[in-house]
Amino acid sequence: MSAKVWAFALRSLARQPGRAILGILGVAAVGALLFDMLLLSRGLLVSFRALLDSAGFDVRVMAADAPAFARPRIADAETAAAAIRALPEVEEVVSLRLGNATVTGPDGGKHDIFLIGADAETRRRPWILLEGRDLGPSDTGGPPALIVNRRLATALRLRPGSELTLRGDCTRGAASAAPPVRFRVAGFAAFPFDDPKAMTAAARLVDFGRTCGLDERSDADLFLVASREGRGPEAAVRSIRALRSDLHAFSNEEIVARFQQVGFSYFRQISAVLSSITLFFGFLLITVLLTVSVNQRFAEIAALRALGFTRRRVVLDVLAQAVLLVGVGGVLSLPLGVVLARWLESILHAMPEIPAAMHFFAFEPRALATHALLLALTAVLAALYPMRLVSRLPIAATLRSEMVT
Amino acid sequence: MSPPVVEARGVTRTFPMPAGPVVAVRDLSVTIAAGEFVSICGPSGCGKSTLLHILGCVDAPSSGALLVDGRDVSTLGDAERSALRLSKIGFVFQRFFLLPMLTAAENVELPQAEAGVTRGERRRRTSALLDYVGLAHRAHHRPSQLSGGEAQRVAIARALANRPRLLLADEPTGELDQATGQQIVGLFERVHADGTTVVVVTHDPAIAARTPRMLSMRDGRIDDGASR
Repeated sequence: MSAKVWAFALRSLARQPGRAILGILGVAAVGALLFDMLLLSRGLLVSFRALLDSAGFDVRVMAADAPAFARPRIADAETAAAAIRALPEVEEVVSLRLGNATVTGPDGGKHDIFLIGADAETRRRPWILLEGRDLGPSDTGGPPALIVNRRLATALRLRPGSELTLRGDCTRGAASAAPPVRFRVAGFAAFPFDDPKAMTAAARLVDFGRTCGLDERSDADLFLVASREGRGPEAAVRSIRALRSDLHAFSNEEIVARFQQVGFSYFRQISAVLSSITLFFGFLLITVLLTVSVNQRFAEIAALRALGFTRRRVVLDVLAQAVLLVGVGGVLSLPLGVVLARWLESILHAMPEIPAAMHFFAFEPRALATHALLLALTAVLAALYPMRLVSRLPIAATLRSEMVT
Repeated sequence: MSPPVVEARGVTRTFPMPAGPVVAVRDLSVTIAAGEFVSICGPSGCGKSTLLHILGCVDAPSSGALLVDGRDVSTLGDAERSALRLSKIGFVFQRFFLLPMLTAAENVELPQAEAGVTRGERRRRTSALLDYVGLAHRAHHRPSQLSGGEAQRVAIARALANRPRLLLADEPTGELDQATGQQIVGLFERVHADGTTVVVVTHDPAIAARTPRMLSMRDGRIDDGASR
C-alpha cells in the first residue's frame, strides 16, 4: 500500500475522532488481554525452566518417578553419587536431603522452617549466596554453619554470626527424637524454589543428619547433576540410566516437557480459549466500526469511484483503516498488557507454595510476534465484510439513490 | 478529423425490478463532438441521469455500444474504466460530494494525486484552478465552511483537476438558489469557452436555454422534436 493510501485512511479515521478513539481503546483492551493470555500460555513453563536452570544443574536424579511427597529416597546415596560423579558426561553431583525443622524466635514463637541438607564439597550450590559466607566442607570449631534465607533472617533478627537452635522434623510429620542442634549463621542466600512466605535454611549433609537424627550418608532425596560442558544433559541422562537403571534421571528439558503435558496444559487451554474469545470481540468491534463508517460514506465512495478511484483503491482504503485502528490499538495494548500482567501476577502469587521467582506471565519475543500476527490477522478478517461492501458498491445506483433520498 | 469525445450507439439500460424490468434508456444514439456544450433535460425519471452515467462510464449499457475518443469501452475492466474516468472525464454532482475532512485545495488535489501528478505540479495546478473558479482565498477552508455555491465551484475545480476532455454535470444547480445557479452555469460557459466539452443534466429550462445544444429526453429516448 502506498503512502497516499495510508494518508487518506488516516484522514478518513480522523474525520470521526470519537469513533476512532473508541475503536483504538477497544483494540488496546482486547490486545492487552490477548498479550497477557499469550504470556500466560507459556509463562509458567518459561519461568519453571529458568528456575531449574538457575543454579547450573541440568539433570535431576530421583529414586522413583513420583511426586516429591510420595517419593522414596535414594538408598546408599554416597555410593550412587560417587558412581555418577565418575561418569565422563558428569561434572558435578550434589546430594540433597529435604526436611523440616522448628526454631524458637526472639518473641518466643515457634517457626516452621524448610531445611535442606546438601553436599558442601561442590563448586555449584542449589542456592545463590547473597551475604556472608557459604557452607564450607568442614567447620573450624564452634557450632556448625547454616545458610538462611532473608525471610528467616528477618523473622529471627539474624545476622551472619548469629546463632540459633533447630529441632529436626524430617520424618514427614513425625517428631524427631534427635536433640536440638545449635547452628551459627554463615550467610544469607536466595533459594530459587522458595515461595514468598517460605523460611528456608541449608546445612551440610552431616549437620542435617544430626538435626534429623539420621545417618547423614545413608540416603538422599535427590541428586542435582551438572553435565560436563560439551557433552550435554541428554548424554549425562543416558549414562546415568545405563549405570543405574533403578534410578530415574531426567534432564531439565524432559522435566519441562512432562509438566507441559500435564500440570501446565490447563493454563495453555485456558489461555487458548480466552485468546480466541478476546480476538473474536476485537474482530466484531472493528467489523462493526468499519461497516458503520462505510455505510455512512456510500455516496461519497461512489463519487470517488466516479472521479476515477479504482475498486482496489477504495477497498485498500478500508483495509488501511482497519490496520491503522488495530495497529495503534495494538501498540497501546503492550504497556497496558504489562501493567495488567503485573497486577494479575500479584493476585496469583498470593496462592501458597508458588516460588517467588516463578512467574505466570513470562515475556518471550515469540509472544510479541504471535501477538502482532494475531492482531494483524484480526484486522484483515475484520475488514473483509466492509471491504466486500465497498468492492461491490454500484456507482451509478448509489449516486442515483443519493439523489432520490 | 478527430473522433467524437463520446458516442452512444443504440444503448439501452434496463434495471431489473421485483415488479418487472424498468427500461431507463431505450435504444438511444447520441454523439457529443469535441468542444460542444450540451444540456440534457426532461422530466424526472426520463433517463437523463442514467444516460449521463453511461456517457461517463460509471454505468454500463445493457445493450448497445459506447465509444470514448473513438474507442469502444464496453469491454473494459474496472481498472481501465477507472483510469479512463480519471484522465478523460470530470464529474460534478448535485450534492458536491466534497470530502469533509479535506480542505478545498486538498479536495482539488485528490484526483491529481490519484493520477500520479507530482506534488509540486499538484500545488501549482490546484492554485490555478481555485483561482479560476474564484476561490483562491478559500483554499484552506473545509467544505463545512463554504457556501453551497462555493462548494460547487470547488467541485468543478476538482472535476477539472486532471484536465479532462469531457466534463459531466448531474443537476449541478439542484441544491443552489437561482442566482447562485446562474453563476455556476456561467462558470460552465467559461469552462466550455476554454475548450472543454461540457454535458449538463438539468430539469431547469432556463439553464438548458443557455447551452448551444439541448437534448430533450422522454421515456428513455431523445425527443428529436423538442431537442435542438
